[in-house]
Amino acid sequence: MHKIFVFIKREYRETVLKKSFIILTILTPILMISFTVVPALLLEMESSQPTVINVYDPSNTVAASLPRMLDDTLKTGQPRYIFNIISSAKAGNNLIPAQKDLVTREVIDGFLYVPPTVMDSNVVRYYTRNAGDFDVSIGLKKTVAAIITEKRLLSSGLQPEKIKKLTHTIDLQTIKINKSGKESESDFESEYFSIFVFVMILYMTLIMYGTGIMRSIVQEKSNKVVEVILASARPVQLMTGKILGQGLVGLTQYILWATVGIAIRFAGAQITAFDTNVLHFSTATMIWFVIYYVLGYFLFSALYAIVGVASTTDQEAQQASMPITLLLIVPILVLTMLVKNPDSPLIITLSYIPFFSPIIMFARISIGDVPFWDIAASIALLITTIIVLINITAKIFRVGILMTGKRATLPEILRWLRS
Amino acid sequence: MPLLKVEHVSKSFNDHIAVDDISFTLDAGVVYGILGPNGAGKSTTIRMIMNILVPDKGRINLFGASMNEDLKNRIGYLPEERGLYPKMKVADVLTFLGELHNLTPADARQRAMRWLERLDLAGHAHQKVDTLSKGMQQKVQIIGSLLHDPSLLILDEPFSGLDPVNTNLIKDIMLELKNEGRAIMLSTHMMETAEKLCDRILMINHGHLVLEGPLDKLQQRYGSQSLQVEYNGDAAFVRELPMIQKADIYANYMEIRLKDAAMRKEFLKIIADKLDIISFKSQKSSLNEIFIREAGETHA
Repeated sequence: MHKIFVFIKREYRETVLKKSFIILTILTPILMISFTVVPALLLEMESSQPTVINVYDPSNTVAASLPRMLDDTLKTGQPRYIFNIISSAKAGNNLIPAQKDLVTREVIDGFLYVPPTVMDSNVVRYYTRNAGDFDVSIGLKKTVAAIITEKRLLSSGLQPEKIKKLTHTIDLQTIKINKSGKESESDFESEYFSIFVFVMILYMTLIMYGTGIMRSIVQEKSNKVVEVILASARPVQLMTGKILGQGLVGLTQYILWATVGIAIRFAGAQITAFDTNVLHFSTATMIWFVIYYVLGYFLFSALYAIVGVASTTDQEAQQASMPITLLLIVPILVLTMLVKNPDSPLIITLSYIPFFSPIIMFARISIGDVPFWDIAASIALLITTIIVLINITAKIFRVGILMTGKRATLPEILRWLRS
Repeated sequence: MPLLKVEHVSKSFNDHIAVDDISFTLDAGVVYGILGPNGAGKSTTIRMIMNILVPDKGRINLFGASMNEDLKNRIGYLPEERGLYPKMKVADVLTFLGELHNLTPADARQRAMRWLERLDLAGHAHQKVDTLSKGMQQKVQIIGSLLHDPSLLILDEPFSGLDPVNTNLIKDIMLELKNEGRAIMLSTHMMETAEKLCDRILMINHGHLVLEGPLDKLQQRYGSQSLQVEYNGDAAFVRELPMIQKADIYANYMEIRLKDAAMRKEFLKIIADKLDIISFKSQKSSLNEIFIREAGETHA
């Protein structure tokens, strides 16, 4: 026990104090912040000026109603749009080229031309430097279309108010009912987004810390330091120390990130008035997440340890670990299907198989309610597999750790198991 | 009771027999040399003593018990393949190695600093291992095997890569430890080093035991078998003498090897009668010569 502790301590200290760990730990939240908060901040700054639009509408089809219908305001309280209506009386021959010139010289932001034939041609033109600003163009399109539709309805003798009432769109409220009959109104988009985020975190950290163990074993083998260690400890102690040590490193990183995440949720929301509350999760989800992360970590670190001990160089190990990565990719591939139909036979089967269950069962639990026995069975299977696998890994470790020179072949590894 | 008892130990890898039926014992206060060319089976024997490899046949007893993990704390081991964590600081690596041998971190660090001082490395204690020269790293690793005050010290080629000054430094430490009553097992292919340090030797070649015993006795026995004689006269008859194993006869000089050292006196009587002897010399053989004679081949 004492020696395992010494290994854990060394593994933890050396990894956590490494530059790459510190950089990754700091950089990840910074990137997360920049990807979520910064674009929102920029967007806000960008649109703090009203958009000035000149309107030329000789037949006066929309000009009168436009300012009334597009009356959004900016955060500052100013109107979002300023419309200058050009009267037909002032219009000369060169009006359109002159207006276009104003747009190019940035005197105005846009020029809307409503031809007199609009009621038949169905075309209006909007000149702007910034055709990619969909907020403005979509707003204009919708409003102009609404005004013209209203005009047409009026001219055909119908009452717009009545039409509006008759053609009102229907709001679809989606309510989730779980098996015990409990109902909850849910925001599905953000819920699925959260599941996706958690699954990706599971996937990436399992690969990251698994390959971390693999690499550190390969390094100890190629440094030849391993023989000094085996002179004072058993291979199983070294392996256990490594897996637990790296596991603690992972947990440390999680705690740091979670702290930053919570801080952003509280502080960020106040600073930017931007909805950073995009991740919707319950305490139960968090608990399942940790349980499946820990179990998945033990399972995959044992697999990666086998690859590490059978390889002699990093490149070899990288290649040989491909099958393990594939095991982790399968749940990502079926994720869309899982979200659509969590009760499909394929998904349910996969959620029992230990190599997929850490991700798939977690996703199932966070989407719908999974019967308790399903969860218990998946965890029991997972733990059994972990115990068997760790024993196998320890056996392979005992022989493989001293082997140098060339990568072990599968038959060789099987022979080690029997020896 | 011997400190280490190896009985009829054998080990093979696939079809290759690395160690074949080797037995020996090692007592406290003795420097024991395991000699042999590269690939003779020295490191495999040591790995079996360290319980890193399990023997196919035979038994190994340490401190009166069969080898177990607790006994590892009483052994200091310098493997042939050197290696330390390159990115760790010297003092941290040594503390780690001390802790692995059940020292407390504070104690391990203190001992490490004392040894670093002694081996002229105190200034490098807080540098990373990979900034040190090969020789320095080797000294750090030797310290690592000494930290926990082992009763048995197993050093596999401890002098390879060390300059003469450091070689002497390590030799002094070894002799000092021997005088404190510790047993030291020294594996080397350099016979000259073994000659100066060892009390007892074991020679192996191709996994077989070639020779085992106290160094001085072996040298006497083999040394007195070899004779060099300067003479005047016709020495052709010498070839026919019954006690001769090998004779190189030149005009006025011959090199003789007797079948047994005890026949020296008789041999002298015979040649003194028939030849005019100018000089006569009987020397201790070097381990090198002994090895070549016994193993019947040269070595690296």
